[in-house]
Amino acid sequence: MKRSSYVIRARLGVYDREGRRRQAWDEISKLKQTQSLTYFTDETSSSAQLLATWEDAEMALSCLTRALRSLTVSQNTLLSSQCELGALVSTTVAQCRGFLTTASLEQNKTLWKQREKYTIKPIGMKKTGGRDHTGRIRTHGIGGGHKQRYRWIDFQRLHYEEGKEGKPFEEKVVEVRYDPCRSADIALVAGGSRKRWIIATENMQAGDTIKTSAVIGRMAVLANEGDAHPLGALPVGTLVNNLEIQPGKGSEYIRAAGTSGVLLRKVNGTAIVQLPSKQQVQVHETCIVTVGRVSNIDHNKEIIGKAGRNRWFGVRPSSGLWQRKGGWAGRKIKPLPAMKNYVNLPSITAQ
Amino acid sequence: MFPETSRCVTAALSPFSKTAVLKELRRFFAHGGVCRLQPRRHFGVSRRLTAKVPPPRKPRERVPIPGLEMIDYGERMHYVPGLAKPVNPDWEKDFKDPRYYKSPPPDKMPLSKEKPCYVFNQRSSLLEGVPQALCLTKTKLIPGLPPQLLSAVENPANQIPDQDERVQNAIKHARFWDTTEERPDKTKYSNTLLNNLMHLCATLQSSHPAIGRRMLAEKCSLAATWKRGEDLFQIRGQNSLLHSCMDPLPVVSGKEEVAETADHVMQSLYPVSPTIDLQKIYVYKEEMNNTGFRDDYPYPHVHTLYILDGDDTNFSLRREQFRAKILMFAFGNALARAHKLYGTQPQHVLDCPITVQAVGTNGRIFQFLVFQLNTTDFSGDDGIKNQAWLDEDAELYDFAKVRPLIKKKQVKVPAGLAGYKPEIFNKFLAMYLHGAV
Repeated sequence: MKRSSYVIRARLGVYDREGRRRQAWDEISKLKQTQSLTYFTDETSSSAQLLATWEDAEMALSCLTRALRSLTVSQNTLLSSQCELGALVSTTVAQCRGFLTTASLEQNKTLWKQREKYTIKPIGMKKTGGRDHTGRIRTHGIGGGHKQRYRWIDFQRLHYEEGKEGKPFEEKVVEVRYDPCRSADIALVAGGSRKRWIIATENMQAGDTIKTSAVIGRMAVLANEGDAHPLGALPVGTLVNNLEIQPGKGSEYIRAAGTSGVLLRKVNGTAIVQLPSKQQVQVHETCIVTVGRVSNIDHNKEIIGKAGRNRWFGVRPSSGLWQRKGGWAGRKIKPLPAMKNYVNLPSITAQ
Repeated sequence: MFPETSRCVTAALSPFSKTAVLKELRRFFAHGGVCRLQPRRHFGVSRRLTAKVPPPRKPRERVPIPGLEMIDYGERMHYVPGLAKPVNPDWEKDFKDPRYYKSPPPDKMPLSKEKPCYVFNQRSSLLEGVPQALCLTKTKLIPGLPPQLLSAVENPANQIPDQDERVQNAIKHARFWDTTEERPDKTKYSNTLLNNLMHLCATLQSSHPAIGRRMLAEKCSLAATWKRGEDLFQIRGQNSLLHSCMDPLPVVSGKEEVAETADHVMQSLYPVSPTIDLQKIYVYKEEMNNTGFRDDYPYPHVHTLYILDGDDTNFSLRREQFRAKILMFAFGNALARAHKLYGTQPQHVLDCPITVQAVGTNGRIFQFLVFQLNTTDFSGDDGIKNQAWLDEDAELYDFAKVRPLIKKKQVKVPAGLAGYKPEIFNKFLAMYLHGAV
């Protein structure tokens, strides 16, 4: 601030005409009194120098005061150099948040989700706090927690490697590890020249070999745990997980820790599976499932221990308000819902 | 806000005509100057002042209808509602401007090929480690260093006077004394230790003058190409510290042993392909073989490759992957040399096998490797194989603590150097003296 004001003074002294000199001095001293020159930064000082090279110093000063006026955040002022700028500015600046830089706008973006090529690298996530893209709360009770990174799970288990379509393939389990984004454990499998994350089954260990096949033979296969087969190829009564409801879409059901479904019967090109909720779904027999039970079977026995541990997982406290128990409390005896039918939905694999 | 305003002011004031300046200023200040930034007053500050801008709309799809001519407003030079937007071809500069250079798509590049090439560089981390490297280089692995190499150091004439004490001093220098901080970091002390040990070995030059016929080179580049089965592979990267020599290293195994390697059965990596974790590229030069030096370099023969683990903080390799890297780079140096000597055509058996040594260290743990290139014919898994002697995870000392490790008020590990193993340095010395004894 000090430097720039000195610059102006010197320049004005050189370039001013005789009569105007005194006048310009007065203007500057007034400006200094009202502290409006505090707004000079290094960038404005250069413009101020340019200004001062003008022949007409008065003109320059009026421009300068206008420029200074535009620097203030409020709009309603009728500023002249005499106005008490300092007090006004200090109040408005403290309150206003209206000015956003591009950096802060960037933070709302969900670019981490938008990837085209599969990667096994953990992807850094941005916390939403339960807000949707408009900034309103979509889901209550979300916020905070430990930083988590997203590991891209390939839910489409029958995902052929490029150039090796149609043939059953085997993969080797490289690593089984915890995943912060889900209750089940995940496994890194390598086969051919690619690696991918899948949901681990109960007894999956590093070094195991798992098989994936799309063949539905005349005989039911004797599948090992962790193998993936179409529902039509498995014997009735098999425990399955990672159930696809549309062939080729990728598994959507039975992915939580310790869960498994049962293949109840196979009817006429379709298969009926009992979900962990005891509901039955009817899906096409070419839907791929993984045999066995999802890993981390003791997840439901885990003791959170304290309220703060839930916060570590990013769950905010619910309301502590006492509420009278109503009809929602107590045991209910309801008939099972009707079987859900997914067979006639259009298939995605019609490529 | 500040830069914007100042920019406007400078932009307005730069031209010398006064009227233009006044116009500019008037336009800028017409709406009170700050109207754009804040359209209305906000009484509350606890929530967002503006909603998020929705993503830009996709432009409407243009459907050319045959037989109908599209009328646009291009000729009228202004927008007319109801008329189509004129389509103008992109402007192509007729001059070269490197600032706005746009590279062609990869498949239009002059070097792009149909066939992929798998590239190994110094940052590659092979999933399967050494077995995968053996598979790529068609090598038979022999654990431990060759005995004739080790027997040379048993002679006291080949040892350094006061060897153990001087080596321990070298370790202490690297771990304790070479810093003004409390303790040097790993990148520093591993580098210092390696230099210290090499300096110690070089003091034998008076009794072994052949040591003087060597040269060190840092970070020289390396490129080697070979065809394994159907696939094309390349090693591209930097040797971290290359000790090269005027004379070639003597071969480690004789002709009979080389012929015996034909019986060795290569280990399969199924279900993993050996190309996993290698970079797959389609734009490359096919005949890329470069030792990093000109042909008239007086020290053409690679003696030992010293590779530091963790000297580059941008990547880190696990120990198994690090050993694979040592093996691959030793192989790459040998292959580049072989291609220079015998041409790039695959040779079933090299007349004179090429031997290259490699030492990897992280400042405490050493990996010793001797690689002998017997063949450059990598088409199948049968026939003569290359040979590699690998001594894994040799610990030069157990602990070098600046402060003692105390658990339950008992000193578990005292401060200072503990657990020095002299035989590991003997291995280091043996590799250094190989070819000079």
